Amino acid sequence: MNQFILQQGSSRELEPFPHIREFALTKNTTIQLDSFVPTTSASLSIYCVVDGKFEWSVNARNYCLYPGDIAFVLPGQQIGGARGFLEIGTLFRLHIDIEQTKSRMSLGNWSTLCQTERLTIEKMLLEDNLSVLLKLKECIEILHHIHAELVNPEIGHVTRVNHFVDSLLIIIARQSTRQADSRRDFPRTFMKLEQSLRRDLARQWTVEEMAALFGLGTTAFTERVKHYTGFSPLNYLINIRISEAIKLLKRPDVNFTDIALDTGFYSSQHFSTTFKKLTGYTPGQFRKGHAPADSQL
Amino acid sequence: MAMECIITIDLGTNAVRVMAFDVDGNVIASTKGTYPTFHVEADYSEQDPEQIFITMLYVLKNFLIEKIHTRGYAVLSICFSASMHSLLMVDKGGIPMGNAITWADNRGKKEAQELKQSALGRQLYESTGTPIHPMSPLVKIAWLARHDRERFAKTHKFLSIKSYVLQQLTSGYIIDYSLASATGFFNIQSLRWEQAALDFAGIEADRLPELVPAFFSSGKLRREFQTSLGLRDSVKVLVGSSDGCLATLGGGVWDEGKAIITVEDSGAVRTVGKVILRDANQRLFNYVLAKDCYVSGGPTNNGGVIFEWYAKQFGDFRSPFDIEHTMQHLIQEAADVAVGSQGLLFLPYLLGERAPIWNANARGTFFGINIKHEKQHFVRAVIEGILYEIYSIGKTLREHRAINSLTVNGSFASIPLCAKIIADLFRVPVSIGKNPDSIAQGAYLLAATDMGIFKSLDEAARTVVLSTTYSPNNNHHRTYHRYFSLFEKLSTQLSSEFEELSELQHEQP
Repeated sequence: MNQFILQQGSSRELEPFPHIREFALTKNTTIQLDSFVPTTSASLSIYCVVDGKFEWSVNARNYCLYPGDIAFVLPGQQIGGARGFLEIGTLFRLHIDIEQTKSRMSLGNWSTLCQTERLTIEKMLLEDNLSVLLKLKECIEILHHIHAELVNPEIGHVTRVNHFVDSLLIIIARQSTRQADSRRDFPRTFMKLEQSLRRDLARQWTVEEMAALFGLGTTAFTERVKHYTGFSPLNYLINIRISEAIKLLKRPDVNFTDIALDTGFYSSQHFSTTFKKLTGYTPGQFRKGHAPADSQL
Repeated sequence: MAMECIITIDLGTNAVRVMAFDVDGNVIASTKGTYPTFHVEADYSEQDPEQIFITMLYVLKNFLIEKIHTRGYAVLSICFSASMHSLLMVDKGGIPMGNAITWADNRGKKEAQELKQSALGRQLYESTGTPIHPMSPLVKIAWLARHDRERFAKTHKFLSIKSYVLQQLTSGYIIDYSLASATGFFNIQSLRWEQAALDFAGIEADRLPELVPAFFSSGKLRREFQTSLGLRDSVKVLVGSSDGCLATLGGGVWDEGKAIITVEDSGAVRTVGKVILRDANQRLFNYVLAKDCYVSGGPTNNGGVIFEWYAKQFGDFRSPFDIEHTMQHLIQEAADVAVGSQGLLFLPYLLGERAPIWNANARGTFFGINIKHEKQHFVRAVIEGILYEIYSIGKTLREHRAINSLTVNGSFASIPLCAKIIADLFRVPVSIGKNPDSIAQGAYLLAATDMGIFKSLDEAARTVVLSTTYSPNNNHHRTYHRYFSLFEKLSTQLSSEFEELSELQHEQP
């Protein structure tokens, strides 16, 4: 296949796809100094090696990439040749603009991922530092499909291109979890989850979000967690919430509403009901029963 | 007539395990709930006491509702066990000051080393029966007195996790003789706190919980818990014992000539007797189960956790496999390799070692690799290495007590391949207990004895049913013995090299 470069603004093919900033296949046959100095990416960039061997610096770490390997770069992250130039070989490059607000990044409305999966995949792709994913030959095929649809538009080609981009992201997200070793070391990944939960206990965690950290579907995730901890994921979370609430209740200076909200309950009423159901005490009774014998402040 | 049951609760290293028995000792149901261990710094190992308490309460409540009340069982008593060596500081108001320090915490290495080599250390080992090591609360408190003066000074009581949980559930700070004898403070003959140990740690006896026998009832459940758990006022809460002591009882080990090998993540070989075993090299512990009844033996850090490490690093993880499957495959591979792994030896000291070499700097070693060795030889060598270490503990014990038959339990030791290797190594028949959870079995036997179902613990232990038995093979025994003698030599002779390597590993963490 011949090399090509499609750019937003100058290439007619990209007009129906405002989110695709650039899509190119490069066959590099000569080494030119400074042809690939590390630069900060402005968009979500996917580099996929088709042929050859490339040594790149991604987010200040050096990687060696072979055919089928992918560099995944978020806006604001850096990529470039480890020695400043592009080695001989062939690679795809796809730059996608994503929506950024202060707190989070999200794919645009072009994506046809369903709501829950989209949130999960966004979280996996856009919040973690993936950098490099290995052995994803499927991606080369998908990128070829995208190109074919773009240069030979037939009926339904807009939908198909967007589907292919979604597929590409799904495959990358799946691979990221395989690389994350969650299967090999469930306890260790679970410990990471535990830490995330504790760090952000006030947040309304969903099972989908938790499962995403393991790269598992919610059903498989729930089963694994039950097998491992004896609790469903949400009950395990309640466990942590109540344990933390108990610590706060034992300090006379924190009021019930603050305790409830800090530990992730909707309201002091919700907290009170859950607490009483589990411990048999209302928070008030509990605090009374555990008041320090005398103030030691 | 209403059916009655006994509940056992084990506050273990990673999880609380709850089991229910009918009065005849049949298991009705069981469940568990895990809690995390935090390693905030190297050598630190801590757990959240509130999370342990809530997890226990939550698990127990669901268990009672789903499995016990609905089936029409009335609970007669609840008997506790717990892992040893935990330490929790509470202030005057009974509020925990920081997390509980678990047995695996090593921060008191230096203090332990100093004490162990002193005359006082030897004297304390004699009187308390607990070898001096960083796990012992004695050393942990000494560490605290040196490095965390403020917390040390503010501490009203130094508790075990179980003491805290019982105080929350009922009231009063108590500790049973078994757990107490793992603290390093307990005189196992007078059954009182040992003054020389208290002096060493710089505390008075009133800062430790009250000493009680295993049959002691810690009082009624607080009314709120009676209501939330749906338990009657009359339910008896038994303080119980330690996991090690109860596993021994539950394994049916009572008579002369019997021993039990438990290997989960870590492992131990234990016997029961009326006399305390004095070991010149402080290799053996002696824990009080009941009056004039001592559980003696030796522990190892490097049990199933080493095999799991190996499986994680070198096992096959092609798509659908998780760690359990991977380990099963490895065990099958190992079973096809000849006894002795064709000359490949493995020292399993990845975590340093307690009994019998007591060298925290010891490390893992493959020895004797030749060009013909394949992957499966390494797998078998790892398994054999772990069991050589178990055998060397048994060998030390045999200097004091005969071992004519063995019971094995725990997830690693009860793998048939492991049970067979153990039978060949010791050259005695090896049985696996019918109830895989011998800690719970032991707790049941204790509670049942308390209720008068058995006249004595002695009689209770004799009712334990053992299932499969493996007989030793003499040829295998001879082969293993030649390798074991090499294993023993390597374990001790490498000690200065381990030392040197440990320094290097500390420089380049």
